[in-house]
Amino acid sequence: MSSIWDNCLTKLENEIAGSDFSTWIRPLQAIESDGQIKLLAPNRFVLDWVKQHYFAKIEESIHEFSNGKLDLNLEIGSKKSTTPAVITSVKPVEIKKTSPNFLNKAFTFDNFVEGKSNQLARAASLQVSENIGKAYNPLLIYGSSGLGKTHLMHAIGNAVFQKKPSATIVYLHSEKFVQDMVRALQQNSINSFKEYYRGIDVLLIDDIQFFAGKERSQEEFFHTFNTLLDKKHQIVLTCDKYPKEIIGLEDRLKSRFGCGLPVSIEPPDMETRAAILMKKAAQVNVALPQEVAFFIAKKIPFNVRDLEGALRRVIANAQFTGREITTEFTKEALHDLISLKDKLVNMDNIQKTVAEYFKIRVADLSSKNRKQTVTRPRQMAMCLARELTSHSFPEIGDAFGGRDHTTVMNACKKINELKESDHKIAEDYSNLLRTLSH
Amino acid sequence: MTRTKQQPLHFEFRANQTFDDFFPGSNVEIIDHLQKSITGNGESQIFLWGQAGLGKSHLLQACCHQAQSLQLSSFYFALSPSELPDPALLKGLDKFDIVCFDNIEHIAGDSVWETAFFNFFNLHRDQDHTLILSAACPPNEIAIRLPDLKTRLNWGLTLKIPPLSDDDRITALIFKADQMGFEISPKAGRFLLTHYDRNLSSLWVLLTRLDKASLAAKRKLTLPFLRQILREEPHDD
Repeated sequence: MSSIWDNCLTKLENEIAGSDFSTWIRPLQAIESDGQIKLLAPNRFVLDWVKQHYFAKIEESIHEFSNGKLDLNLEIGSKKSTTPAVITSVKPVEIKKTSPNFLNKAFTFDNFVEGKSNQLARAASLQVSENIGKAYNPLLIYGSSGLGKTHLMHAIGNAVFQKKPSATIVYLHSEKFVQDMVRALQQNSINSFKEYYRGIDVLLIDDIQFFAGKERSQEEFFHTFNTLLDKKHQIVLTCDKYPKEIIGLEDRLKSRFGCGLPVSIEPPDMETRAAILMKKAAQVNVALPQEVAFFIAKKIPFNVRDLEGALRRVIANAQFTGREITTEFTKEALHDLISLKDKLVNMDNIQKTVAEYFKIRVADLSSKNRKQTVTRPRQMAMCLARELTSHSFPEIGDAFGGRDHTTVMNACKKINELKESDHKIAEDYSNLLRTLSH
Repeated sequence: MTRTKQQPLHFEFRANQTFDDFFPGSNVEIIDHLQKSITGNGESQIFLWGQAGLGKSHLLQACCHQAQSLQLSSFYFALSPSELPDPALLKGLDKFDIVCFDNIEHIAGDSVWETAFFNFFNLHRDQDHTLILSAACPPNEIAIRLPDLKTRLNWGLTLKIPPLSDDDRITALIFKADQMGFEISPKAGRFLLTHYDRNLSSLWVLLTRLDKASLAAKRKLTLPFLRQILREEPHDD
């Protein structure tokens, strides 16, 4: 960094309010050359603000510390070279060979924890990585956020890259595709954009639900999609729901997305959640006792990112205090998180949420009504209560109109069976679990 | 004229917001995690939450200050409840080593901002850069509509800044006054707490004013002198 700019920073830091200094002045990157100091702002927004509010002050400082020899020049830019994760559509062909395809190497099949909820998706992904363009094309992995879809996608890319480093593999988020296309249109480089995307061997596009409502992008993606499929190049997509349910997505795309193999990922069961925790802990050389893993898995019932966040808290706290990770210690470390969840998830809350979801009265859940429109929600509420609270079977039975504990046990069994065989039940359960967990 | 409690103070405390001038109190662990993150030996995502006036903004700015001393690029922005800036603000920020967003809860419900922040988040994370966020509540309680963003806010290390007791606030006042080069007695500290806004940032502004008055009068901050200063109208610098 320029020493003159260092001096300016010290001076300005004492003249400008702390938060303003950190927002507008500190991020400016200085390049000193040819009788001027060029200050680079990250974007137009910052540039305009600095010009409007601080230009005079900065210029005065620069003149002071350079004895009037240097002038100030403000531009948009960055001292660092363009990072591999940023696709510049103007010259996309240049980056595809040299960049490591935007894959996160940390996501592999080896460190993906398999359970009932995701084994089909994992098996299909593995198949795809071993038979590019032949096994399932496109492969569509769908399910709620934070269940491992992106992990599998990167794992496919990494596995292919390992076997065939010359393959052009590109991972990107669908929003990035849209942004690149908009930029290409603005810069009159739509042809190189098309050429780039249509020349990819393995295209991994995350969160295609973000295409909803973007007609021009859908159109372009439709053609890219067809070209790649015709050439037998592999396409892998992820989505937070089954594409047919996306509002604002053209029918032809819905149909194309589903024409290969659509596989769902469900929220992991308790055993899988515990296994994920133990594996994640092992990756950072922490031996997480099984009972602690189950304790966290019980308290964080839905999302893998939530699980990782909780585990981070426990490990960080243990490393700072030097204490052993026990269940007692974990309770303390996660006190805020757990008390918050316990506050939100209780029997009343579960009954209210389930009743609202199925549009029945809360009282129906405790009534003797045996119509299926009531019994199924009742069973689901019992099953959720068993999974999300620490109440015993008899306690849950009591809360549902004084039913016997065996009724609750049967309800849990029934729902768990139906989740396997009935897509709608699995989705309802997953939706309720998500609502109650956040 | 008699002062009422909770007097508003209208100018921002101007001083370096560094880790050294932060009263650590019971936040030693939080400071440790933040410093490790900045030096690349800790978590790449930290979410700080706690009520207003406990020093979240100070800590975020201290991160940027430390980043600067390590020749790392940093960006800090405090989101305001009244008006969100143009999301174009986020453009190019993914290239910064350290990015801090204060009051991130204010983007909740604004779909354009949520999506823009989600995109920034992914790009920034893909480059192994460090993101530090703060809010008045934990990530789960922020009404973010975009599920993909919501789960990502929970992903990193979430740390709660515990509320300060009055005794802690008095110790903090003494610590801060000492850093500014003057003394304040516990008695005077208690007086300030019972008569003024107990929010730490307001108290720091008040300390600046007291310091100036004490210097001008060349007197120590005794309780009678404190009363005398505070009888005068507060004035903006």
